[in-house]
Amino acid sequence: MTLHNLVHQKSGYSYGFLDPFAKRELRRRMLKGIAIPGCQIPYASRELPIARGWGTGGLQVTLSLAGPNDIIKVIDQGADDSVNAANLRRFIKRMTGAATTTDTTQATLLQSRHRFPEERLHEGQALILQVPDPEPLRAVESDMAKSRILHADADYGQMWLVLYEQLVQFGRYMQGASYPVMVHDRYIMSPSPIPRWDTPMLHQSAHLTLLSAGREKRLYAVPPYTNVFPLEFSDMPFEVEDQRTWVSHSTGVRNKFMTEIPQDDGASSYELSDTSYLEKIVNQQHGHPNTIAPTYYDEDGQFYHAGYLKRRDDAESTPDQ
Amino acid sequence: MAYVATKGGEEAIQESERLYHQLKGDVTREAVDIIIETMPYLVDRVMGEASLYSEELAALAIAQSGGELYEAILLLRAYRSTQPRLAYAQPLKLEDTLIVRRISASFKDIPGGQILGPSLDYSHRLLNLAVLEDDYEPDFNEAKRAETPAARNYPMVADWLRQQGMLPTVTTEADMPIEGADIPDVTRDALAVPAPRAHRLQSLARADTGGVLALGYASMRGYGFVHPTVNELRLSYADVKVKHPVTGALFSPGRVRTSQAEVVTNDKTGYKIGFAATFGWNEVKLIAAATLDIEMSNVGGHEALSEDFVLYHTEPLESSGFCIHFKLPHYVTFGSSTDNVRKVISTFYGDDAAGKESIIEATATPMDDLKEATTT
Repeated sequence: MTLHNLVHQKSGYSYGFLDPFAKRELRRRMLKGIAIPGCQIPYASRELPIARGWGTGGLQVTLSLAGPNDIIKVIDQGADDSVNAANLRRFIKRMTGAATTTDTTQATLLQSRHRFPEERLHEGQALILQVPDPEPLRAVESDMAKSRILHADADYGQMWLVLYEQLVQFGRYMQGASYPVMVHDRYIMSPSPIPRWDTPMLHQSAHLTLLSAGREKRLYAVPPYTNVFPLEFSDMPFEVEDQRTWVSHSTGVRNKFMTEIPQDDGASSYELSDTSYLEKIVNQQHGHPNTIAPTYYDEDGQFYHAGYLKRRDDAESTPDQ
Repeated sequence: MAYVATKGGEEAIQESERLYHQLKGDVTREAVDIIIETMPYLVDRVMGEASLYSEELAALAIAQSGGELYEAILLLRAYRSTQPRLAYAQPLKLEDTLIVRRISASFKDIPGGQILGPSLDYSHRLLNLAVLEDDYEPDFNEAKRAETPAARNYPMVADWLRQQGMLPTVTTEADMPIEGADIPDVTRDALAVPAPRAHRLQSLARADTGGVLALGYASMRGYGFVHPTVNELRLSYADVKVKHPVTGALFSPGRVRTSQAEVVTNDKTGYKIGFAATFGWNEVKLIAAATLDIEMSNVGGHEALSEDFVLYHTEPLESSGFCIHFKLPHYVTFGSSTDNVRKVISTFYGDDAAGKESIIEATATPMDDLKEATTT
């Protein structure tokens, strides 16, 4: 044993970039968040060498959880090869030495900007969602001190009023992505700007979901097997994006979340948003078998928790005007 | 090429970065030294907003980012956040700083005297085009030395106001000893409003100069209550004092440029004082920040001058980062809203493609009314 072996090796940055105190604080906040599902926990968001608003909240969670044996997947809008996802993946790999993958089933930690994968996540996996605005009440109360009181009192009347006004004015709920959800019968939570298609995936999931906003310095969590329901009136159900007629351009697949791509002739083409799933389907169609996990929605568009989504008929959704 | 969903995204971003650096001069030690020497006010502004006092690192960040200041501040803040906290400096008493400039607009003369010091305030703002000529000889005309050197330290103007009973007395150090480690630290705690005073002053110290100016100016122009009278504005050098970790003896690891501003305003309840301080010499930021300090304590003022509004929106890293993040793809979020918009159009106007223009126009009004933003 020499002195050289005993001393901490000189290095430019700590393992996982964050110093051990920052990582400890984040882990403690995460545990608190898991213990109080859907409750926003403030944390001292550290400055990272990535611009604020570009995933620094998710990144701090990933960096404080990742170890050398982890397998990391990073997606942005469903795509593994989006430039910002590529950049974050490169940074996490550089700072932790963890392996990276695009395969949803292989990953231990999945950091995502605004999408769930189509393949169902399993126990032991953690999905880390990047959050621009953690406060679901922002639209009805911009003052953070006041919205904290509303959460403490579970005083959510204004949120229901907004939904009611939308129904009166437009005949439907108008919230696009970030559809507010009720977690464990207690806290209204912003699920981050995931499409409504992904919202049900939070409910009674096998995996852990962590949501973190670096700029706003708040994180929150949905533990495995927790009830998560979108805000809806009993006679006017929440609806996911209606893509029933859309067909994936390169695979012919239906009933998975797709992106609309405008064409030169004014028409639209559609493609699967989950690029890893797309790649697996293409491989399969070309005779290269892969492991494809069961998906959240089946080929007919039925969600895997039967009865969770109550779809309105188009006829019923027309208001009496 | 498209910037998403193309294989090779990783290679593309690396080439993009190379091109950025290729289109500006090389970052050399010499370039860094020239920035330190010729642009101290720029270096000061960057050190203040980065809350990291190092002329060398600030100049390096300016050079490395090609003068894109938000990038420079991001480089420094990201570096700073990795540095361990080795010690807490002793609290600095303003009357102990070495003053180079000290003015008060409240009184014609003040105890200790007005010290004009270095300033462009009364210069004629004429570009010196002669510098660009080939045969230009620099004019090294140094400022005259005073026959008797000015005093090193000065009393605070606010103390005189306190003696006169025009401002409430303050708790002194004798009543309440200050330990560095006990002071709330906004770089280590989550900012919540109402914020501890330390968080407020720290946030202002590292706030975006332009952002603080915009909001401070809004107050001064009439959106607020405050007519700021600059009670005292100081530019000074301060010796940082730290306890030696082994011997416990006080020593100074270095001297920093620092500036402070105190503004006063009066309303029905008497005089109120606002304070701001920062690393480096940055007068415009501090007058605006001290004004906002008063404004943020007013109850029932304009929402844009509240503590919540000011502190969150003048954070240079967060505001600039969030603004440029809108360059990132948002097609999933956008697609989620087009689903709703199409449904509304078809519900209220049918699928008549011929009347599409009028449909879009007609739909624009209820859509504008909808406060519920489809945010990302």
